[in-house]
Amino acid sequence: MIRTLFAAALTCLPMLAGAEEPDPLLPRVIDTHVLPRIDALALESRDLAEAAEADCAPDAFALREAYHEAFDAWVKASHLRFGPTEEGDRAFALAFWPDSRGATPRTLGQLIESRDPVAQSADTYADMSIAARGFYALEYLLYDDTLMAAGDPDYRCMLVRTVTADIAQTAADIAADWHDGFRDTMLTPGPEARYRSGEETVQELFKTLTAGLQFTSETRLGRPLGSFDRPRPTRAEARRSMRSARHVRLSLTSLRDLALMLSAGNETLRTRFEEEFQTALDRLDAADDPVFAGVADPQSRLRLEIVQQAIDAIRETAEQDLGPSLGVAAGFNSLDGD
Amino acid sequence: MTTHRTGRRGFLGGLLAAGIVPKPSWADAGAPRYLSAAALSDGRYVLCGIRADLDLAFQLPLPERGHAAAAHPARPEAVAFARRPGTFALVIDCALGMRIATLTAPEGRHFYGHGAFSADGTRLFTTENDYEAGEGRIGIWDAEKGYRRIGEWASGGIGPHEIRRLPGSDVLVVANGGIDTHPDSGRAKLNIPTMRPNLSYISDGAIVETVELDAALHKNSIRHLDVSRSGQVAIGMQWQGDRDPSALVATHERGASIRLLEAPEDRVRAMNGYVGSIAFSEDGTRIAATSPRGGQVQIFDARDGRFASAQSIADACGIARGGAGFTATSGTGAVARIGSGPGAAAHDGLRWDNHLVSLS
Repeated sequence: MIRTLFAAALTCLPMLAGAEEPDPLLPRVIDTHVLPRIDALALESRDLAEAAEADCAPDAFALREAYHEAFDAWVKASHLRFGPTEEGDRAFALAFWPDSRGATPRTLGQLIESRDPVAQSADTYADMSIAARGFYALEYLLYDDTLMAAGDPDYRCMLVRTVTADIAQTAADIAADWHDGFRDTMLTPGPEARYRSGEETVQELFKTLTAGLQFTSETRLGRPLGSFDRPRPTRAEARRSMRSARHVRLSLTSLRDLALMLSAGNETLRTRFEEEFQTALDRLDAADDPVFAGVADPQSRLRLEIVQQAIDAIRETAEQDLGPSLGVAAGFNSLDGD
Repeated sequence: MTTHRTGRRGFLGGLLAAGIVPKPSWADAGAPRYLSAAALSDGRYVLCGIRADLDLAFQLPLPERGHAAAAHPARPEAVAFARRPGTFALVIDCALGMRIATLTAPEGRHFYGHGAFSADGTRLFTTENDYEAGEGRIGIWDAEKGYRRIGEWASGGIGPHEIRRLPGSDVLVVANGGIDTHPDSGRAKLNIPTMRPNLSYISDGAIVETVELDAALHKNSIRHLDVSRSGQVAIGMQWQGDRDPSALVATHERGASIRLLEAPEDRVRAMNGYVGSIAFSEDGTRIAATSPRGGQVQIFDARDGRFASAQSIADACGIARGGAGFTATSGTGAVARIGSGPGAAAHDGLRWDNHLVSLS
């Protein structure tokens, strides 16, 4: 029935031809790239909350292991910033970083010092400043020498349990929205729908790729690199739990998966992406610097700068070659964003 | 008299001796009608003067990608700002074709890419980020003394972007976009969940009026503005939320609340959440807003606030009043008249950058 109506509509309005059948690319990207990552995030986050329930000591082996696995799952999904992750600022609630003015340690310190009852349940904690929520806040509670020892141990224990329960709830909400509607929203574009055509949906995924590459280059690497005269090793992402280079690796691996899917059918471009991602990952390996401590030393700094350059080269390929091949315009001003 | 710190002196010296003191004017720069920064196809950057017939009046080199420019009200001087988060701006004598001063942002500040002169042309005001504090500033520069920095004011919010002067006064109007950024994190936006843009009016350093959008629109970054000859302010916004907003264009008059110019839903969507530039027509009755992301220029009636028409121009961003309508520029090199009779020029070797600055 729907198909008949569609056919009738198409006869009258030939310009809607793009909305006829979803491009097979879309279900493939959503079902094999997006949903597995969103589901893993929900699952690992639930495990994390359970580990904290079982033992909330910041140095508990099982808790820290669960922390790393759930944080990995987030980084692998961290480029998927549209729809369910943006509803109610959920992605920010999972990942408030960069924190250029130190709001996370400051807010956590105040909570602990005042024994603020807001931390008694994940429900009330959801109204808390996002600076004190999510994985980056949890890292402070588990790895920061000052906050690990601040105030009352029972309060800190409650805070760890609440922060992890809040993470689990947020991740579950994102997954639920994806399964209970947003997958269909992406696959059924239409004139009155959120996506008017398959092209708009493809454009969303394309933007996801370029924004993810930009964030990893400018922020994950750019923050600690600072400038040559003023390197900033203490600004490396999640350095307290030794995760900085790991985040670059995980995000690049996820972005490679997406880039290869989006370039399916264009062998030249696929090969180029494969080579360029491999270059970036090889250079990251060669730098062998888990928390980017070497940014202040000219030689090891150079090894990180060339990782950044390799990522920028991938982004250039995406913008100059993948965009046009997907029919996504990338103009001089439309890319500027100012 | 106005003194230039350049080779003009020798020339002027002769004229002074003869008892003639010509004030250099924009006519000496080839009579440009507009200014715009651009990129050349070989990767270099320039500041261009564009004449009323859409031909180039001049083309002067810039060391980096530009954003907008501020034109001195009398002298043929343009201040070309680097793209955010630039820390310098160049003052260019467009008649002599040379740089006459460089503005360097003080330690802990960067420019946002826009500035405005005082009515008498003695002061330049620049929008800046005090990035450790996360607060907007207005830098004050002495345009009579080599563009020396002489002070700064609060901008009234976070992320001040475009700044204009109200006609017939020295009241400044500033679009505080609300988005907190820090140069150590690239262009990452640090406060989207809590951002609160506003429009602030500043008189001699005092914030004399501030207006905000409704809470539901707190993610609509008030970024660009223009002022009509009667003092009405048009604002162009950039949506940071997930779905489409109800409007991306609004107007404001002192003492009133912000009036959203609501277009049909599909028209709002066509702008892709992003207004790149905004301008009033010469008579103030119409407002044009560009969206390079939507490849659209949309026209609104400034009096009743209604959507009037739309035109597709790929990568259109710069817009300014021109003739009875507007002139638009694009990253493709096109310069097009809109609503002011036929006329377009294709500057194939140039990619016009975000803003087209009107010189009258």
